Amino acid sequence: MPPAMLGRSPQVGIDGHVDAETAAGEFAVTLEHVTVRYGKVENAKQVAVRDVSLAFPRNQVTALLGPSGCGKTTILRTINRLHDHTTGKVNGVVRIGDLDVYARETQPEIVRTRVGMVFQRPNLFPTLSIFDNVVAGLRMNGVRKREFLHEAAEAALRQAALWDSVKNRLGLPAVRLSGGQQQRLCIARALAIEPEVLLLDEPCSALDPMASARIEELIVELSSHITIALVTHNLFQATRISDRTAVFLLDDDNTGTLVEDGPTLDVFQSPKDPRTLAYVTGTIG
Amino acid sequence: MFAAIVVSLLVSLVWQAAPAFRHSGFNFLFSGNWNPDTEHFGAGVFIVDTLITTGVGLLIAIPVGIATAAALSEFLPRRIGAPLSTCIDLLAAVPSIVVGLWGLLVLIPIFERDVEPFLQKIPLVRHLFGGGDLGSGLLLASVVLAVMMLPTMVALTRTALQGVSVADREAALALGGTHWQVVRRAVIPGARSGIQAAITLAMGRALGEAIAVSLVIGGGVNMPHSLLATGTTLGSAVVNFFSEATGVQRSAVIGLVVVLLAFTTVTNIGGQLLLRRRGGRTGAVPDQGVLLADAEVVPA
Amino acid sequence: MSAGTDFVRREPADLLSPESVARRRRMVRRASRSTLRRRRLVGNTTRLACYLALVIALVPLVALLSYTVERGVSGLSVDFFSQLPVPEGVPGGGVEEAIIGTLIIVGLAALVAIPLGLSVALFLVDRRGKLAASVRFVADVMSGIPSIAIGVFAYALFVVPSHHYAGIIGSFALAVLMLPIIVRADEVAMRTVPEDLWDAALALGARPSRVARSVVVRTALPALVTGNLLAVARAVGETAPLLFTALGSSLLITNPFQPMDAMPLRIYLDGTQADPHLQTVAWATALVLLAFILVLSIVARAFASYATRHAR
Repeated sequence: MPPAMLGRSPQVGIDGHVDAETAAGEFAVTLEHVTVRYGKVENAKQVAVRDVSLAFPRNQVTALLGPSGCGKTTILRTINRLHDHTTGKVNGVVRIGDLDVYARETQPEIVRTRVGMVFQRPNLFPTLSIFDNVVAGLRMNGVRKREFLHEAAEAALRQAALWDSVKNRLGLPAVRLSGGQQQRLCIARALAIEPEVLLLDEPCSALDPMASARIEELIVELSSHITIALVTHNLFQATRISDRTAVFLLDDDNTGTLVEDGPTLDVFQSPKDPRTLAYVTGTIG
Repeated sequence: MFAAIVVSLLVSLVWQAAPAFRHSGFNFLFSGNWNPDTEHFGAGVFIVDTLITTGVGLLIAIPVGIATAAALSEFLPRRIGAPLSTCIDLLAAVPSIVVGLWGLLVLIPIFERDVEPFLQKIPLVRHLFGGGDLGSGLLLASVVLAVMMLPTMVALTRTALQGVSVADREAALALGGTHWQVVRRAVIPGARSGIQAAITLAMGRALGEAIAVSLVIGGGVNMPHSLLATGTTLGSAVVNFFSEATGVQRSAVIGLVVVLLAFTTVTNIGGQLLLRRRGGRTGAVPDQGVLLADAEVVPA
Repeated sequence: MSAGTDFVRREPADLLSPESVARRRRMVRRASRSTLRRRRLVGNTTRLACYLALVIALVPLVALLSYTVERGVSGLSVDFFSQLPVPEGVPGGGVEEAIIGTLIIVGLAALVAIPLGLSVALFLVDRRGKLAASVRFVADVMSGIPSIAIGVFAYALFVVPSHHYAGIIGSFALAVLMLPIIVRADEVAMRTVPEDLWDAALALGARPSRVARSVVVRTALPALVTGNLLAVARAVGETAPLLFTALGSSLLITNPFQPMDAMPLRIYLDGTQADPHLQTVAWATALVLLAFILVLSIVARAFASYATRHAR
């Protein structure tokens, strides 16, 4: 196998940054002292989530767990710089592999091709067909070759367990799929650009139990070669499918904080922090 | 109560127009000959002129309107975009008589002196612009109509663009698109039915515009041979001919009103229906009624 | 099978192998990087084009206003407001009758349309059924009827039988024009009254429409005023409904059962003359008309922001 295929040769991109294709290291994403504020003034009341330091191990599922409003989604969105388009300000360091996400030379578009995201409700492009939806990310990034698009589409749809259902109807409008299928199509769309990290923001919240179960199976399968960060408020989901869990709760200031993180089993069976214990036993949250 | 007004409006007009129809039969709609002296009443010229002026007006107003709305809604920061939108809305408050006056006394000389000779020099296209040297004409009427349609186009398109949800925008953003790519692939398609409504309603406004058009279009009653020819639309025909018309001619003019009403009502109904349509959303069909069932797995 | 071109049809297992994933990943990253500059450039160019369109859209407004002001100001004078038109070629004269005519005609129209519109809106606001939906739909379509059609309609309905042109028939036409606008604006104004106000009153057992009349109308009053003022501002500028009904005049008429003049009619008449003096009169009248409409709109907006500031 030619060495090049293992992706060891680093490439210098237009953001001036060295970017190893499959970056070495145990952690795909690291957050160091990340704080997110809304609004203009450095006002304590407007801090959404404070001082989060967290590492996401490569090719594992890490769950961001906690009740609504504790900052899990806010933290998730710092990874692909979605706060750029809101009034949110992010302090601290976020790294994807060797890439410093918030460095001045880093282009947000480049960051977002390394990280895929699936949202709470399926947000397909309503005017496009199934095929066009899946390859939308590829097209936007300048990939044109038809054979490549077809190959990537098939790979993505297979990984999302949709290929057999839709392979003969790729031209149909995407909106005609059921809710569960639409969400899987969104997953396929995110996968098509071959991200190394997949962010999932409560992907099952709009789905019925059967569809949710399918998505959970999918997540576990995908984690064999993609790093997954999953935001959920469902403790059982976290225990079912995550390797590590990070628990977020509100502190006395009403800002979100990271209370504890570690292997899922440890967090649930022998939590270190009393608040975690209270949360997982249902006393709070 | 409403129904009463609408119905009585229709009935009285049709009744008044009836004699004209009896007189000329179907020719009324298709004949291009409008000659009171010979008692030939064909609305063909007026219909054609109406379609041309509205069509060319749309050709100008649609791209400018959508681009302006995009600038106001997607590119400019809110602090600048909001007051400018108000300015554009102000244009809608200007009465058509004032626009018409401006067209008559300001634009006609400009067109006659500068614009038309200029257009007649451009190769290829200039065959569209043969003949006229009056300033007034179909082209000027189209421009005036475009000016009057613009506020509607901009306001409705802007509303449609702003109505696209954050989630839809983020779908494109998270895939690595630039700002414009997000606008082009997520926002504008998401606003499609709103934009269609904007176009349709703007068209309805232009079709019905009589006063401003009558002041700048010149009043010719022959089939147009170029965009610079003078002409008469349905609306301006009524303005020009109504007062002095008697007998059958008057019925014919009222018949023009009926035709105009038919055009505008159809257009407005279409526009209102489009406004009410919440189409194009991720209308996820409930799992019971799916069109593509997961169960249809083809054996490997 | 793995060497050579990427475009060979692959087996599923091969498709998802680490080598294929890495290969695709490299291609995507490479394409993304190399096209980023161009994509950004396209975006910036389009942005500039849209800004240009914005400027083009603003030009007519600026031009209209500046020409009207420039050419109309010279026609303004005390005489302008207090005298009647004079024959062509004779200096002096004013448009007093047109201003008064507008006030009377539009005033009468508003007197009819505003209460009528309010009552239809009250009918609509506490109903959600198909009937209400279709009335709303008809109202919306009606607001798009060309004003010339309304003028001819009023002519057929009233001028023909009575063999008489009259200002009040013009008022009728304007009222028909204003009605759909007022109905929709009023309904929207009352719908924005918060839900709990409704619920509280209904809990006391009042019939929906009685609740509406007393409580909601008072609460929604600023927004109602806004909507009505905007409808009046629209009516003030309309020419076509008056052309064949009020007809126009050069005399100071205050009896609405006679033909009357109005500002739009005056502009239409004077502006189409060749006499530059009369054209100036037309510009000046247009300026006054615009000022009217501007004042009405500003007052309407003031009420609107008063309403939002004092909302519960």
